[in-house]
Amino acid sequence: MLHDFLSACKSGFDPQTHSELRAQLNRNRRVILLSGNVVGNDRSDISGVSARVYRSGTYGFSSMADCSEESARRVLSAATENAAFMDRHVPAGKGPIAPMPYKCRRQEGDIHDPAQNTYIEFAKALDDYVVKHCPNLVARRIVAMEDSMEKMLVTSDGMDAHAIYPRSYCYVMMTAQTPAGTPVDLFKAMGGAGTFDINFTDPAACYDEIDKLYARLMEKREGVYADAGRKTVILDGMMTGMLSHEAVGHTVEADLVLGGSVAGPCLHKRVASDLVTLTDFAHTAFGEPCPLPVYVDDEGTEAIDAPLIENGILTGYMNSRETAQHFGMKPTGNARAWLFSDEPLIRMRNTSVHPGKDKLEDMIASIDEGYYLIDSGNGQADTTGEFMFGVTMGYEIKHGKLGRALLDTTISGVAFEMLKTVDMVGDKVIWVSSGMCGKKQPMPVGMGGPALRCQVMIGGR
Amino acid sequence: MDALYQVTEVLLSEAKKLGADFAVCAVSESEKREFNVDGGRFSLMRTLFDRNVSLTVLREHRNGSVHVNRFDEEALKKAVAECMAACESAEPDEAWEFAKGPIDETFTDGTPECDTDKLFARTKELMEQISERHPKILMEQMITEHSAGRVIYRNTDGVCYRTLSGSYSFQLMYSAHEGEKSTSFFGSGVTLADLDKPIIECAFLERELTDIERQLDTQALEGKFIGTALLAPSALTEIVLDTMLGNFMTDGSLIDGTSIWKDKLNEQVADPRFSLSLTPRADYVVDGRRYTEEGYPAENCDLIRGGRLVSFALSQYGANKTGFQRAATDGWNLTVPAGDQSLDSIIAGIDRGILVMRFSGGSPAASGEFSGVAKNSFLIENGKIAGALTETMISGCVPDMLNQIRAISSDVLRDGFMSLPYMAFDGVTISGK
Repeated sequence: MLHDFLSACKSGFDPQTHSELRAQLNRNRRVILLSGNVVGNDRSDISGVSARVYRSGTYGFSSMADCSEESARRVLSAATENAAFMDRHVPAGKGPIAPMPYKCRRQEGDIHDPAQNTYIEFAKALDDYVVKHCPNLVARRIVAMEDSMEKMLVTSDGMDAHAIYPRSYCYVMMTAQTPAGTPVDLFKAMGGAGTFDINFTDPAACYDEIDKLYARLMEKREGVYADAGRKTVILDGMMTGMLSHEAVGHTVEADLVLGGSVAGPCLHKRVASDLVTLTDFAHTAFGEPCPLPVYVDDEGTEAIDAPLIENGILTGYMNSRETAQHFGMKPTGNARAWLFSDEPLIRMRNTSVHPGKDKLEDMIASIDEGYYLIDSGNGQADTTGEFMFGVTMGYEIKHGKLGRALLDTTISGVAFEMLKTVDMVGDKVIWVSSGMCGKKQPMPVGMGGPALRCQVMIGGR
Repeated sequence: MDALYQVTEVLLSEAKKLGADFAVCAVSESEKREFNVDGGRFSLMRTLFDRNVSLTVLREHRNGSVHVNRFDEEALKKAVAECMAACESAEPDEAWEFAKGPIDETFTDGTPECDTDKLFARTKELMEQISERHPKILMEQMITEHSAGRVIYRNTDGVCYRTLSGSYSFQLMYSAHEGEKSTSFFGSGVTLADLDKPIIECAFLERELTDIERQLDTQALEGKFIGTALLAPSALTEIVLDTMLGNFMTDGSLIDGTSIWKDKLNEQVADPRFSLSLTPRADYVVDGRRYTEEGYPAENCDLIRGGRLVSFALSQYGANKTGFQRAATDGWNLTVPAGDQSLDSIIAGIDRGILVMRFSGGSPAASGEFSGVAKNSFLIENGKIAGALTETMISGCVPDMLNQIRAISSDVLRDGFMSLPYMAFDGVTISGK
C-alpha cells in the first residue's frame, strides 16, 4: 500500500500555478492457457511518482519510477520548469485555473494480492470444464487476470485523495469450424471490480456462462452471412454500451470537442430521438454501484455524473478542470491517468443509455425482417461520429422471430443520425467493464445500456 | 552501465540460488522528452525518467515472469521470489527455450542524446508549416518526442546484450474543417534518427495532409459492387498484413491449429509479385531490434518470397510447439518490396474502385474474412479520382485478395519502422447506402 510521502512536498508548489502530485502503483496478474498450454504466466508491479503543473494555459509534467519524497520534489521541480518553458516559448496567455475548495477523501484498505497459483488453478479448472463439456472445438483459450490501480494524490487546491481500483476477469475464448472448415470463434468475459480472490471463489459459478457461450458458438458455426445494407436491428445491451462509449462518448469528451469533433456545433441541439438519454456515471447508476466506480479524478475533482444527452438533446460534455472553465461547464471528475507516468486525460467512467419501457421480446416481435445483434469484438469511432463495430454474435429476425445465427459481420453508421432512428428502448441495462479504452493511454471503463431498436448499415460478405 | 549490470547480477544469482534452472532478465533506464499539441495549440511538455526490470525463470520446464520498476535489492529479491512462485505453479512445458551463449554484444543505435531545443523548434516549425500550407487542417493531437534508453539483457546461459539507443518520433492526428464540414480524422507518423530536415518533408506527411483536405466534400456511394480496392500503406497494414501475421503466421494461430496456412509452408499463397519480409536491420528502420525476446540475434528474414510462403513468424517456443523453424526476428518491421507502377498509373488503370487510406473494421475472422468502413477514402471511376466517399464499407477475404493483386506501387512509405507501397486488389466488395 502507498503511504503519504506527498503531503510534505506541498510547500514546493509554485503559488503562481495549479499543481498536482500523484504517486501510483499499477499491478497486473495474468495467466494465459492456450489449448491447455500455459503460454503466459506474468506478474507486474509498476510504481512511481509524477507532478503536473498548470501555468497560464499550458502544462508541464514530469515523472520518475520511484516512490519517495526526494523523487516527488524532483518531479515537481521538473514539471514546474517545463510549465515555465511552455509559458516562455508558446504563451497561451490564459489566466489561472478556477480554484476549488479543499477536500480530502482517503479510501481505507489495501488491494488483496492472491498468489499466482490462484490464477493458474482457476484457469485450469475452467479449461478442464471446457475440454470435458465442449467437444466440438478446434481451439480454446482461457485468460485469468487482474489489473489494479492505487493512487495517492495531493493538489494545490481541490481534493487530496487515496483511491484503489481493483478489477479482475476470466476470459474464455472458443474456436470451432463451419461445415466448410472455416474457423469461427466467440469469447466471454466474466468478472468486474474487485480482486480475483473475491470475484472468483468457485469455478462452477462460471460454468453456466461457458455452456451458453458454447451453445452460441455451435449455432454460429452453422450461421449465415448478414445481407449487406441499411437494416432495422435490435442492438442488445452490450452493443448499446459500445455505441454509448465509442460513437457518442468520445465525441463529447471536451478535449476532442476542442479538436473539432462533431459535438462542437451540436450542443443544445437534437442529436437523438427523444427516447434516448445518456449519462457518464461517476460511481452510482440507476440506484446501483457502477461496474467501475470513480469518486475522485486525478486533478482532485470530486467525481459527479456527466449528463450528455437528455431526451435526445445534447446537453453537455465530459470535462477536465481546464475544459470546464473554457466551456463554462462544471468539472465532472473525468480527468484520469493510467500509469504514474501518464498525465490525466478526459476519460469516460461508466457510460450508459438510460433504460426505457420496452420488453426485449416485444422488440423482436416488432421486426418483420432485420437482425438481433448481441455481442461485439471491438469498435471504433470517428470524431465525426461515424462508427464501426465488429459483430461477433447475432441472429436473423424473420417475421418477428429469431432465425439463424450470423457469422462475423460489421455495423456502421453516424451516431447522431443513427440515434434519431431509435424508436424502442429496452427496460433492462447490461453493463460490461472488461475492456480498455484507448486514447494515448489505456484506461479501464464501464459501458452499458438497454436494447435499442434502430437502423444501421450492416456489412455482408 | 555498471548499476544496470549490478541489477542483472542480483536477479540472475538470486534466481539460481532459489533453484531456477535458467533465468533471463532485461534491465533498463530510459528518458523521454515530449511536446503535446491539442486542438491546434501547444498544451504540454513532459519529461519522464523511467526504469524497468523484467525477469523470466525456468525450473523443471515450468515458466514464470515478473515485471517491476524498482532497483533496490529488497524489491529485486521479492520480484525473484514471486517469479519463482509463479513458475512453480505452472505446468511443465518442454517447449520453452532461450538462446545460449557465449554472446556478448554492445550496440549504440540512433541518437541517444536529446536536443530538446531542436525538437521544440521542429515541432513549432511543423505546426506553422501545416497552418500555412494546409489551413483547413485542425491538429486534434500531435505528440513529438525523443526517447532514449540503456538496456542490459542477460541470461544464465552466457548471453549478454548492452544497448544504448535513442530516436525522435512525431505522431499526428488531424482532420480538415471548413464551416460545419469536417473530415474523418487521420493519423500520420514518423520515427527519425535525427532532426536534419523539416518534418513535413518526411514520410508521406505532405501527401497525407493534402489528401485529407480533399475529403471535405464527400459523397455517399449508392448500392454495392465488386471492384478494386487500392490500399494506402496504413490500410494495407490494417487489412492485409496484420491479418496475415496475426491469423496465419504467428505463435497463437499455429499452436492452436487455426491457421489456414499451417499446411502451406513452401507453397504459393500469393501473386508472384508479392513478397513480405521482417527487416529490423534495414537501413531505413530507426533503432530496430537487435535481439529477440528469447535472446537470439535479430536478423532480416523473408516470410513470403515471390508469393511463396517461405517462413512463419514463429518464436522458438512456437517453433518447438509446432515443429516449424523459428523466424530470425520477432520484430514487426515489415517490408513489402516496391512494384513497378506509379500511383497515378495504377489509378489510371482502375475502371471502378476505391482508394482507402484508413480502415475501421472488426477483428478479421480466423479465415481472413473482414468487413469494415473505408475511412478517408476516394471513389475511383474511369481511371480517375471521382471524389471523397462517406459511409462506405468494404469486405473481402485476405487469402483470396493475395491472389487477386492488380498492382504494387513504385513509391513506398518509409516511416522509420516499415517500408510499404500502395497495393491494388481486385474482387473486393464495396457497398454504400
